[in-house]
Amino acid sequence: MRLDIRELGQFNRLASNGAKRAARSLSQLTGTDITVEVTDVSLVTNEVLAETFSGYEFVGVQVGLAGGLAGETVLAFERSNAQTLQSLLLDTSGADRSLAQSGVSELGNIMIGGFIDGWANHLGEAINMTPPTYLEAQGTRILPRETIRAAGDKGVFLFESRLEALNENLDFSIYMLPEYGEFVQMLSRSPTEPAIPANKLRAFDGLAKRGAHRAAEQIGMMTGIATDVNVSQIRFVPLADVPAKVGDDRSVGVVFALSGMPSGYLVILFDELSAGSVAEAMMPGGMAEDGIGPMTEGAVKELGNIMTSGFIDGWANVLGTSIEHSPPNYIHDMSSSIMSPVVAKLGQRQEYAFVIDSTIELDGRTGQCDIYALPDERELAKTLSALPAG
Amino acid sequence: MATDLVGTDNRHASREKVGIADLAVVTDDTQLITSGLGSCLAVVLFDPKQGVSGLLHAMLPRASEARDSKPPKFVDTGIDALVSEIEAAGGDPTRLQSWLVGGSQMLEFSGGDDSIGARNIDAARRILSSRSIPIVDVDVGGSHGRSIAFRPAEQSLAVRTADGSTKTLS
Repeated sequence: MRLDIRELGQFNRLASNGAKRAARSLSQLTGTDITVEVTDVSLVTNEVLAETFSGYEFVGVQVGLAGGLAGETVLAFERSNAQTLQSLLLDTSGADRSLAQSGVSELGNIMIGGFIDGWANHLGEAINMTPPTYLEAQGTRILPRETIRAAGDKGVFLFESRLEALNENLDFSIYMLPEYGEFVQMLSRSPTEPAIPANKLRAFDGLAKRGAHRAAEQIGMMTGIATDVNVSQIRFVPLADVPAKVGDDRSVGVVFALSGMPSGYLVILFDELSAGSVAEAMMPGGMAEDGIGPMTEGAVKELGNIMTSGFIDGWANVLGTSIEHSPPNYIHDMSSSIMSPVVAKLGQRQEYAFVIDSTIELDGRTGQCDIYALPDERELAKTLSALPAG
Repeated sequence: MATDLVGTDNRHASREKVGIADLAVVTDDTQLITSGLGSCLAVVLFDPKQGVSGLLHAMLPRASEARDSKPPKFVDTGIDALVSEIEAAGGDPTRLQSWLVGGSQMLEFSGGDDSIGARNIDAARRILSSRSIPIVDVDVGGSHGRSIAFRPAEQSLAVRTADGSTKTLS
């Protein structure tokens, strides 16, 4: 089976529309303005599910689907966010349990309903929904067992919409996981290029992991700072949403153009504190400079070069191709504006992007570095298609 | 989507956030905001008589240069769409004033003259000129990012950069 990337884009749009409807409805209910920052879809393994969900308590709703699409779909909120929303809804912290449940169920209905309605229209086939079942659980136990099994086997599609209140300190994600087998069937109904063979999807995970681990090793070798790859996954996201995804905080970044198969861009962003730390660690005798200056620039460029080489080596192992990178472009600016020219360049050829998004924790979470790889989608599809089945 | 808030000047104002490759039109004092302008270009159009304001956050100069055709993604089709929406909201296309912000050259690859930022600015100037829409003020070019807020009540545009400095175009 070959998965149609345009179709995946279409489903991303449906999920985004569902999230926007949920956000509008939440805005009306709470009286505070809530907008959808990003909706992306990623193919994730059980490991990534564990990284994403473990350590958090969730409330959610599970909805059974039948007809044009069958299976179980789950919508999950982190419990603390659901409580904040609930207190906004009631303007009191003493929300009673049944109201909290009905609030979450209502949101689930709006969000999943929006997605399913759009989906049914797109398919020209009715999809029936069972009444929502309210759930509370820790970590991945919020997800249906079948989802966990599929994630361990082939991976599952995880839709994530990040919502933000413009004037409240509230930023939260809604997760939705359609049943894997059914979803893959829908993506492969009549594939047009670019398409990716379903049995190559595990290679995606390899791409996300190998590159990030190699880059993290390089940071460790250059600086002596302990590193840990926290999250690393491939997201499929509208290009125009990528800058919002990285946010407006100021970062110290290096951007590399990649050439080869696939071509694209690699963007490495350090928060300011981490940039200072790695620069200091790379200087003889641990010299430090005041703020972000030429010393930090030199260090981050040098480190970026080596990280990028490591990242590309990791890819070459998975893809069996050769990729070269440009010299570093150093930028100290808002993260979103660092991304702006990268999405514009790619935007000449594509509307969506596969973003390989990795977070490397430095020195026991005292700082972090984010790596975003944005390959040309057609070249990536072609390269993955050429891999031996595995 | 607009909402009430107390602005920095302690007056009640409302804001509407415009994403990349998107546009918005308002007919009241709602502030139009957008962030993360790098090579992208923000075009603000305003009809002072009817109080209709519009903001476009465009990514590329011309729709003919890309494979997809979402109008607000491009300066040329985006300005057309913005003018149409302003007209539909009661604004007069012959009375519009404009402001331009963004179009930086953030990256330099291969030394080629391929600055999307500069081409975005050039496209906007040409299209505004062909429509006889005067440009009130600009903050364009350079190599830094910008975030903006257009305040219809004051007919002014606040531009903020990453180092925290702000300037007002009016």
